[in-house]
Amino acid sequence: MPSGLTLLEFLRERLYLTGTKEGCGIGECGACTVLLDGKPVTACLVLAVEADGCSVETVEGEATDGQLSVLQRAFVETGAVQCGFCTPGMIMSARGLLRRNPNPSDDEIVEAMAGNLCRCTGYEAILAAVRLAAVAAQRASGPLTGEAATDGRRLLPPGSSGKGGRR
Amino acid sequence: MLGRFDYQRPSTLLEAGRLLAGNDGPTAILAGGTDLLVDIRGRRNDPRILVDIKRIDALRRLDVDPAGELTIGAAVPLNEIIERAAIRRTYPGLVQAAESIATYQLRNRATAVGNLCNASPAADMAPILLALGACLVAWSCRGERTIPVSSLFVGVKKTCLAPDEIAAELRVPAPEPGLRSGFLKQQRLRGHDLAVSSVAATYAPSTGVLRLAVGSCAPTPLLLEPIEVGRSSRAAVEEKAVRAVQAAMRPISDTRASADYRRAVLPVLVRRLVAAVLAEGGAP
Repeated sequence: MPSGLTLLEFLRERLYLTGTKEGCGIGECGACTVLLDGKPVTACLVLAVEADGCSVETVEGEATDGQLSVLQRAFVETGAVQCGFCTPGMIMSARGLLRRNPNPSDDEIVEAMAGNLCRCTGYEAILAAVRLAAVAAQRASGPLTGEAATDGRRLLPPGSSGKGGRR
Repeated sequence: MLGRFDYQRPSTLLEAGRLLAGNDGPTAILAGGTDLLVDIRGRRNDPRILVDIKRIDALRRLDVDPAGELTIGAAVPLNEIIERAAIRRTYPGLVQAAESIATYQLRNRATAVGNLCNASPAADMAPILLALGACLVAWSCRGERTIPVSSLFVGVKKTCLAPDEIAAELRVPAPEPGLRSGFLKQQRLRGHDLAVSSVAATYAPSTGVLRLAVGSCAPTPLLLEPIEVGRSSRAAVEEKAVRAVQAAMRPISDTRASADYRRAVLPVLVRRLVAAVLAEGGAP
């Protein structure tokens, strides 16, 4: 493998895992966020060779058997996805956060997601999505627990956007 | 593709030192890569060989020895420092500076030693490490030397390190009893910009000595002469600190702020931080 190949290029161009996006290419926008040994990093600033022997998780690992994860469903239900380009990076930053802190405060969500830029949503819906995913994962037992798929069930009651004010 | 270079991943310091001492062309040390890989992509740096030091166990140290000295290895990312409870307790200013750097993702890669060695005038770890009296241990096949951080910077983006030297670890001296510390930085956008100006302070109630260092207001981060607080009022100490900073600073105008703005804002930060570390309870 060429030494100059980034982890981002390796994922997209060698493994054809194109869920991870390239935005700025210099670690500013977070669109290429993946989990490296469980920790969010920008894949544009990691060489593929540096990841040798490490676990790499991308947005492709979220859904199970075609069913969205709780986190993905929360993004859909709160309208946190508009053009969608930032979404895979947002999901991976949120995944990293919820794994180390299953019940984050709004300030903790904002700090964890500050490295992910979104030009569409104004961020409030994204905050609501992470908040909803945390609540849904905690509330549910059985198939909704943790990272399990949602079996297509809604997390929010009909008619609710989940946004509301900040906690 | 970021560039054309050979990638080497030594597992010992000796192996790394030999790679750096070899004559196979320009060689760069890769730790977190959050500055280096951006520079390579932007064609501001074009090394032939990258020596990745992250798998050298000796450089992964993050511990406090029985005498209280803190060691931060060159391969330790900022988030490890931030998350270590003992460091949060003992050196709040160090943690505040680390937390102020970039974003969570970048702090999982970026290192304190790398932030220093990049030698930006705006390096956020520099003022607090200066105020804490930290030293950098440089290792090469020729031997080891200990460089006070106050002697490390020789110009904008220039250090006194030789091309074959590895900045192996930082050593932060054991804190005086009850040592307080803090860091404040002015920036335009949290997480997405470098410092407009920054200041770090330590205050040891047991000795009555206040130490200040400032960033982004001269070609290198600056350590000021220690201030004896004695029985002076807080206002008098703030005034003394501001005058010392004003005498030392040589700000420029750049994309982030004008020199005049820096001259105006730094005294505000200095007053706030000095008031906070002098106040009962310590850090801001």
